[in-house]
Amino acid sequence: MTVQTERPPSGPADVRKTAGAGEPGGPTPRAASRAGAFAPYLLLLPACAATVLLLGWPLLKDVLLSFQNLNMAQLIQHVTEWNGVDNYKDVLTGEDFWRVTLRSILFTAANVVLIMILGALVGLLLARLGRRMRVTLLVGLVLAWAMPVVAATTVYQWLFAQRFGVVNWVLDKLGWHSMADYSWTSSQLSTFFVVTVLIVWQSIPFVAINLYAATTTIPDELYEAAALDGAGAWQSFTTVTLPFLRPFLYATTFLEIIWVFKAFVQVFTINGGGPDRLTEILPVYAYIEGVGNQHYGMGAAIAVLTILILLVISAYYLRIVLKQENEEEAGL
Amino acid sequence: MNRSLFGRLWPNVTAVVLFIGFVFPVYWMFATAFKPTGDIISEDPVWFPTDITFEHFGTAIDVDHFWTYVTNSLVVTFCAVGLALVVALAGSFALARMRFKGRRGFIIGFMLAQMAPWEVMIIAMYMIVRDASMLNSLVPLTIFYMMMILPFTILTLRGFVAAVPRELEEAAMVDGCTRSQAFRKVILPLLAPGLMATSLFGFITAWNEFPLVLVLNKEAGSQTLPLWLSSFQTAFGDDWGATMAASSLFAVPILILFVFLQRRAVSGLTAGAVKG
Amino acid sequence: MKRKLISAIGIAGMMVSIAACGGGEDTNDKAGADGYAGQTLTVWVMDGSSPDQWQKDVTAAFEKKTKAKVKFEIQQWNGIQQKLTTALSEENPPDVFEIGNTQTPAYAKTGGLADLAGLKSEIGADWTDSLNNSSVFDGKQYAAPWYFANRVVIYNKKVWADAGIKELPKTRDEFYADLKQIGEKTDAEPIYLPGQNWYHFVGLTVGEGTELVKKDGDKYVSNLADPKVAAAMQTYKKFQALSKAPKDKDESTPQQSEVFAKGRTGAFIGMGWEAGTAIQANPEIEKEIGYFTIPGATADKPEGVFLGGSNLAVAAGSKKQELAQEFLKIALSDQFEGQLAKLNGVIPNKESLQTNLTGNAAAEAAAPAAAGGGTTPLIPEWAAVENAPNPIKTYMTAVLNGKSPAAAAEQVEDEFNKRLAQQQ
Repeated sequence: MTVQTERPPSGPADVRKTAGAGEPGGPTPRAASRAGAFAPYLLLLPACAATVLLLGWPLLKDVLLSFQNLNMAQLIQHVTEWNGVDNYKDVLTGEDFWRVTLRSILFTAANVVLIMILGALVGLLLARLGRRMRVTLLVGLVLAWAMPVVAATTVYQWLFAQRFGVVNWVLDKLGWHSMADYSWTSSQLSTFFVVTVLIVWQSIPFVAINLYAATTTIPDELYEAAALDGAGAWQSFTTVTLPFLRPFLYATTFLEIIWVFKAFVQVFTINGGGPDRLTEILPVYAYIEGVGNQHYGMGAAIAVLTILILLVISAYYLRIVLKQENEEEAGL
Repeated sequence: MNRSLFGRLWPNVTAVVLFIGFVFPVYWMFATAFKPTGDIISEDPVWFPTDITFEHFGTAIDVDHFWTYVTNSLVVTFCAVGLALVVALAGSFALARMRFKGRRGFIIGFMLAQMAPWEVMIIAMYMIVRDASMLNSLVPLTIFYMMMILPFTILTLRGFVAAVPRELEEAAMVDGCTRSQAFRKVILPLLAPGLMATSLFGFITAWNEFPLVLVLNKEAGSQTLPLWLSSFQTAFGDDWGATMAASSLFAVPILILFVFLQRRAVSGLTAGAVKG
Repeated sequence: MKRKLISAIGIAGMMVSIAACGGGEDTNDKAGADGYAGQTLTVWVMDGSSPDQWQKDVTAAFEKKTKAKVKFEIQQWNGIQQKLTTALSEENPPDVFEIGNTQTPAYAKTGGLADLAGLKSEIGADWTDSLNNSSVFDGKQYAAPWYFANRVVIYNKKVWADAGIKELPKTRDEFYADLKQIGEKTDAEPIYLPGQNWYHFVGLTVGEGTELVKKDGDKYVSNLADPKVAAAMQTYKKFQALSKAPKDKDESTPQQSEVFAKGRTGAFIGMGWEAGTAIQANPEIEKEIGYFTIPGATADKPEGVFLGGSNLAVAAGSKKQELAQEFLKIALSDQFEGQLAKLNGVIPNKESLQTNLTGNAAAEAAAPAAAGGGTTPLIPEWAAVENAPNPIKTYMTAVLNGKSPAAAAEQVEDEFNKRLAQQQ
């Protein structure tokens, strides 16, 4: 699971806030603070060194490769052939890249909308259920959440298998007989359908469980106050629940965007970007052009462009986070 | 009356439907793995396996080097998660408890690192490892996996560290503990559930990774389980029984870990919150 | 049932022989009898191409002669080029590896293959010229021809008998009618033919007298729009319609021989040795397996076939060049080349060894068609076409899913031409 949040599931951030508010400043001994001026940097050193070495270096290498003519011969013979911005020119002037970019964006949008809406609904449902039913549903969600991606994609291939796949059987029995031997990998739309079902199935638990956990932290007084003001169920939802959950929804949405945008394994394993390269999203396109077609320099250029697009997408998210951090900084 | 019955009924009915929807793929994986082949390729699905067979599991693990893959996967995953936790704990403590110049910059940096699309950088990573003569070794795999999970681990642990009431730490320091003693004796025990919850995602990521190991390690002796699983379709054709048995074997450790850790982590958290 | 044996010499007749003087002298004069002790040679062979027995015997002979060890590593065709390219760039590449004849020129051009001129003059004087073509690039010998084969129909005698078919088909129409009959009279699948068995499709284009590419100046470009290619594809489609195999998978996912092994399939089009894989999966199928030449449009001329084959090459980066050549000398010696031909029913690299095929049912079925066989162009640019997603496979699936051949050709031609023109 690569979905990540800047907050752990049950919202310790809220605990943190109350704790911080309880003691502004704090009586830190002055001497210790001076001696410890370097302490934070020392503590962060291993993490930063690892990031620079293990992430920064490959990133830099990738950028360098993107300015090279690097194919089978050059790779085998360890030859460096600089070719300026040729790779970028090829990629950006071809229509493939733009088509794939647009497709990636649409794919991501469709998935994230589904995940967020369904995830939020399931989360709210969890809050409404009785204890036993809630635990049951939670167990189901956790099982889906915990399925390793590689195993999950394999299982979905079996569920949607042309022959003896259970999905085709059910559709056939429901009266849709043309689906009896349907090949789900035969068209762009049906392939995306399978991938989307898989991704949404995998992602809803994260959204739902965390959203449910967040609703449990909403103080009852807020609802009581709303009820005193004569608010109905819907109004208390829009005036209390939704505003309270808004930061959480923002953060989750952006994490899901990034996660779906990078969903390489699912798309690649289900149908290899096929049929006819019609389901390639950006990471898959970079991989197929680079590694698959052994056009490594070109692949690196597409990779760099993919990273840039990711950065643009996440800039908005980072701004929100920055604002949050500013508030926290004030409280620290 | 009617309406309220309906009002009580629909959430439960929806929940049951959802439960089935989420569990079915997992159930079907196990069910197929235990069914005799005749039941797998029957015209009408056999929903509940009646004569259980372990034959498919036999086929799945009867592959050269299977136990090597298992060992390699375990070693790489545990080392990567362990390393990430140690490195991240130090960093997250600084980020959560200390005030210093550039703190925000570090946080933004780790958030960016968390978004890294590793799959598109495979060839660059391959060339680095190749030129360092470290191919077919578990070391680069371990440290790259460590890096893949490090940003998330830091950012999440930061929240858990911050959730430990500062008063406890200060009380310990008043009692004569140094800051590092206070950390070890007071914060660390309270952090245990947080560490578990965080490590969970690390486990999943490291356990799952295959594009990198595919290009770095060509020798069977240094390969891991995801490769074994993803090579199944070619190796076993349309033998879905064996493929599902393999998927089950691959998924079970994570499923167990998840169910186990998720509960402990959450309960630990709530306990901490109540005390705080 | 019994097919007339076209003599092994006949197979070679068309393969333009030279073989004037016997050059098969033994080279047992080895320098440094213990010089290689403690070394291990890594050899990559493709899945199914060399039987266990052959590997065992070659290993024994090699270890006896050189005192070194040899390690065979089985590779899958899918993704092999990506794996091979990176492997050749590494410090410890596989020392010896099998490489498909259509892929050899590309790798020869990359500089990843060692020059085998010495080996050629030592043991290769009577290699069949036409088989050696793909190993030579720019006048240099970059690989050694190993084995060649073309596809046949492998069928299940019981299924055909159950359908009441007494005589094997001689023409394409008879073949089709027989398969139809199987479909009607039995519950077996008449033929297992996945949508992307592109080697068979290449064979059909050869049968139509055309090629997938044509020359445009000094470049190769797509010839998919040729009506003859379309005709070949229509033939493929007609037969594919009798199969329940997926239209978007090739013959190795799943392995067609393993599907066949279950005994519920009338026939499939494959290499003779694939029967061996089927027998391994289900020993009981052995007595039911039969072979016949893929029937052509008319009875006097079998269907066109793709002349597949593999060469053995030595990595330029291997640190065991001499030992690798020692291995090749043993593996390609008359004894083991002959053994491979016998066990797998493949055409060996020398005419003189073709007697090994006598009595091999698969080889006898393959022989009549070999004369009319062809390959894809032996040019370095070709390898890129075979990288996934192979545009020819895309074309096939598109037609099978209902597109007109012309429209499908138009759909993939850009990609096809791009790959043929890909910068090296």
